Amino acid sequence: MASLLEITELQTDIRLRTSVVHAVDGISLDISNGETLGIVGESGCGKTMTALSIMNLLPTGGHIVGGSIKLEGKTISNLPDDEMRRIRGNEIGMIFQDPLTSLNPTMTVGKQIAEAVILHREVTKEQAYDRAAEVLDLVGMPKAKERMGEYPHQFSGGMRQRVMIAMALACEPKLLIADEPTTALDVTIQKQILELIDGLRERLGMAVILVTHDLGVIAGRADRVAVMYAGRIAEITDTRTLFVNSRHPYTEALFQALPEKSAETREKLYSIPGLPPDLTNPPPGCRFAPRCRYANDKCRSEEPNLLGETPQHLYRCFYPVGDEERADKSRFAVEQPAPLAADPNVLAAGPQGNGEYLLRVEHLVKDFPVTKGAVLQRRVGSVSAVADVTFYVTAGQTFGVVGESGCGKTTIGRLVVGLEQPTAGSIMFQGRDLSKSHGSEYRRDRRKIQLMFQDSYASLDPRMRAGTILREPLVAQGIGNRQQREARVQEMLDHVGLPRTAVDRYPHEFSGGQRQRLGFARALMLSPQLIVADEPVSALDVSIQAQVLNLMRELQRDLGLTYLFISHDLAVVRYLSSQIGVMYLGKLVEVGPADEVYLRPAHPYTRGLIDSAPVADPSAEKAKEKSGVRGELPSAINPPSGCRFRTRCPLAQEICAEVEPPLVPFSVNGHHAACHFPLEPPIGDAASAAAAAPVQPAAPPEPSWQGPA
Amino acid sequence: MVTGYLIRRILQAIVVTFFVTLITLALIHLVPGGPVAALLGQKANGPELAYYNRIYGFNRPFIIQYFKWVWAMMHGNFGYSIKNNISVAAEVGLYLPKTLVLVGLGLVVSLIFGIPLGVYQAVKRYTVGDYALTGVSFLGYATPTFFIGFLLIEWFSLDLHIFPSEAPQGSTVGQILSQPRALVLPVFCYAFVAYALWSRYMRSSVMDNLVQDYVRTARAKGASERRVLWGHVFRNSLITIVTLLGLSIPVLVAGAIFVEVVFNYPGMGLEFFNAATSVDLATLMGFTVITTFATIAGNLLADVAYAVLDPRVRYS
Repeated sequence: MASLLEITELQTDIRLRTSVVHAVDGISLDISNGETLGIVGESGCGKTMTALSIMNLLPTGGHIVGGSIKLEGKTISNLPDDEMRRIRGNEIGMIFQDPLTSLNPTMTVGKQIAEAVILHREVTKEQAYDRAAEVLDLVGMPKAKERMGEYPHQFSGGMRQRVMIAMALACEPKLLIADEPTTALDVTIQKQILELIDGLRERLGMAVILVTHDLGVIAGRADRVAVMYAGRIAEITDTRTLFVNSRHPYTEALFQALPEKSAETREKLYSIPGLPPDLTNPPPGCRFAPRCRYANDKCRSEEPNLLGETPQHLYRCFYPVGDEERADKSRFAVEQPAPLAADPNVLAAGPQGNGEYLLRVEHLVKDFPVTKGAVLQRRVGSVSAVADVTFYVTAGQTFGVVGESGCGKTTIGRLVVGLEQPTAGSIMFQGRDLSKSHGSEYRRDRRKIQLMFQDSYASLDPRMRAGTILREPLVAQGIGNRQQREARVQEMLDHVGLPRTAVDRYPHEFSGGQRQRLGFARALMLSPQLIVADEPVSALDVSIQAQVLNLMRELQRDLGLTYLFISHDLAVVRYLSSQIGVMYLGKLVEVGPADEVYLRPAHPYTRGLIDSAPVADPSAEKAKEKSGVRGELPSAINPPSGCRFRTRCPLAQEICAEVEPPLVPFSVNGHHAACHFPLEPPIGDAASAAAAAPVQPAAPPEPSWQGPA
Repeated sequence: MVTGYLIRRILQAIVVTFFVTLITLALIHLVPGGPVAALLGQKANGPELAYYNRIYGFNRPFIIQYFKWVWAMMHGNFGYSIKNNISVAAEVGLYLPKTLVLVGLGLVVSLIFGIPLGVYQAVKRYTVGDYALTGVSFLGYATPTFFIGFLLIEWFSLDLHIFPSEAPQGSTVGQILSQPRALVLPVFCYAFVAYALWSRYMRSSVMDNLVQDYVRTARAKGASERRVLWGHVFRNSLITIVTLLGLSIPVLVAGAIFVEVVFNYPGMGLEFFNAATSVDLATLMGFTVITTFATIAGNLLADVAYAVLDPRVRYS
């Protein structure tokens, strides 16, 4: 079959002031009509640069310096810009990661879509707007015609991405390039958008290049996958073969770093040591050799070619892993990497510490006022961010909070660390109510609860050296003298695996993973007992994420830490947590032991979340095609009556709008869910359980608290 | 919504006016020897001072004086200039239109040059043309207005005899406009400083916008560079300029005073300068208050323009 797009030995350089980055270094790919090709890799591997090279939209200093790109047999990589413009948006459409910044904020969405039509078709303005309304309807925008005159900020994230897709498809391109199209979206919306792209691909018969860092996204959507590393293709084959029998050690390592693969065993994740190479001066030999556990001298001096037993499965390695004979068996059943896991002490699933509750959050409520009015800002309502949430966190364990953005999980974290004051309810830490303590007692309690942020770069002062950053909590609390503080800084750097020389470096001199370690070290400076970790690994690549998760595990064991772990990523939460709380629009809808919640969810929302999260397993992804959560999160200003999830729930009936379901037990282990029509039978008489339903087992008699010395 | 937003801004403007008038009156009281001594001159004796203090009401409590003053102004009475033997309101009526001609022409000229050249500099950034224009605007920034005025007179009037050294004279706007040659130097002098501001702001604003994601989207649609620039980037860049336009009004008013004094332009600025040197308190107070009103009104206009340009402000 003739290829739609044929890339041959593409080389793209980015010229900087004093050096040249070889961002794409000899890539060959081809895509047929109607096919989805996945390009997967970690940040900096050249996947986005490959996509931008096809469009010839490289950033300043970027140039194609070698090879060719052919669209339907015609070379497009050397076209002058005015001819290339006729291809962009016409024959090749492209959508980007962040749908908010990718749309012009001062232009109506209708005009932005119509512009694409006007640029490429001989049409009148009216015809272009008609066509815009038509594609907007096609991408599933409700009331498409009416919403044409609205501006991007009036749409939700998912709807904005639909606008982006409509814009890219307005001229029915033969090829759609989607660069991380769902990375900025919630899993439930991600699933809807990926399904939309898939459906449109079939309907319009176009080819799709799906660029992503997420192996799960690739698994369910791509026909073939190219794994990129350091500007080159490490391995390329059809999706099923890649997932069942990957041959390149890098691909293998990527899979082993995924937390879902070790979720049940809670084994230490495999983390790829080191960092990807600097592409201004790539290493001789195999580019992965410096980080490869199988590499020998040959790998380090000589570069392998992209070869394979069949032309359908190529990889760039002298000593491939996996087995060509074994293509049918599931790799995960067969290949449990014994030498890597093996640390029996890291089993955090069982209760550690003394089993007492370190943190007791009871009937917690947080409303944010909404004001309106021209002159006097009168209060017209409130955003119900957290609504009557009760949960207990056992000392030495991890309580995971999971939910979509806007569900109130971050607010809970902020309330616990004292950055917000609760509207009602209590937060008991070691038996003392934090919202009622004052003065020195308050300061002492605060020391024991520390926050770890998502964006390690933004949360570190760029003008402070690492040493100063780490010392600051001690200075603020007036602890120790100069030498003692110095010693404590050194100790913490050792703990988090940073070199002691790091004290003199500034935040920008660290890599993303190292910065997150630094943020972790800062949180640990005051020897806290509870760490509130708000999306600590969301911004990291999967191999780096594995390093940070392993570190959090190790330090939990060594220092007896308790975590309140907040994340949108169910796989990460499940891997790290012993208890999980699922939040929806300010409510805790399900809570219980991690595996029980994950494997036997009682609440339809939990089920939907699990089904929406992409799993790096093509057959599992195919199986749950029709599931997931439909619609979008309603406003928290006027949350739905009764059960807040009812507007998106497939099982909802009249009672759900009238009566708010209480949390009822589903097992003796403290598994509770709030649903009138649960997916699992509750234990005991539902009515009596509803009357007095404590979340998790009843609290033990008032514990005698003896904080660590 | 726009009306609610406007009402809120107008109320803010009233509060600002209150404080400015209060401070103006307090400053007049701080004139050495008091306002009456300034009026009567150094030879005035005690009984004379007491008599005129009583006549003008300066012996009454400050707060009474303040409210009487404000009450009078609300009825259009801005005081009476004894030095010029004319009411301040009439003075304003005489001089303000001429100053507005100077400021208006200067602003238009500065924007006509500043905005397109700023866009040009952003598109051709780090080229010889950009560096040359950067040099010109730094000159406008760094050189005092009066010095530029002197240089212009020296070159174009005394050496080259192209334009007259003095601004147009006359009591009406029509008379001023009937001498376009004489207008060139004052307007150019005024516009030069403002040009420097706009071109710099526009350059950085366009450069910021050119690297935004939405520009990449427009290019991915197949839009030409020209379309990207004028269809997408230009309006987003203007938002910044409009905000700065409102904030720059005090600077622009101050600039008018210098230009009018250097070129002997018969406007509010020159009259204000004369009043200050001859301690004509009524004129000073009246002009200060009216300039305050103008500044606040200008800011208000800029905010409205901002809301028109930026839909995010309009709807929130």
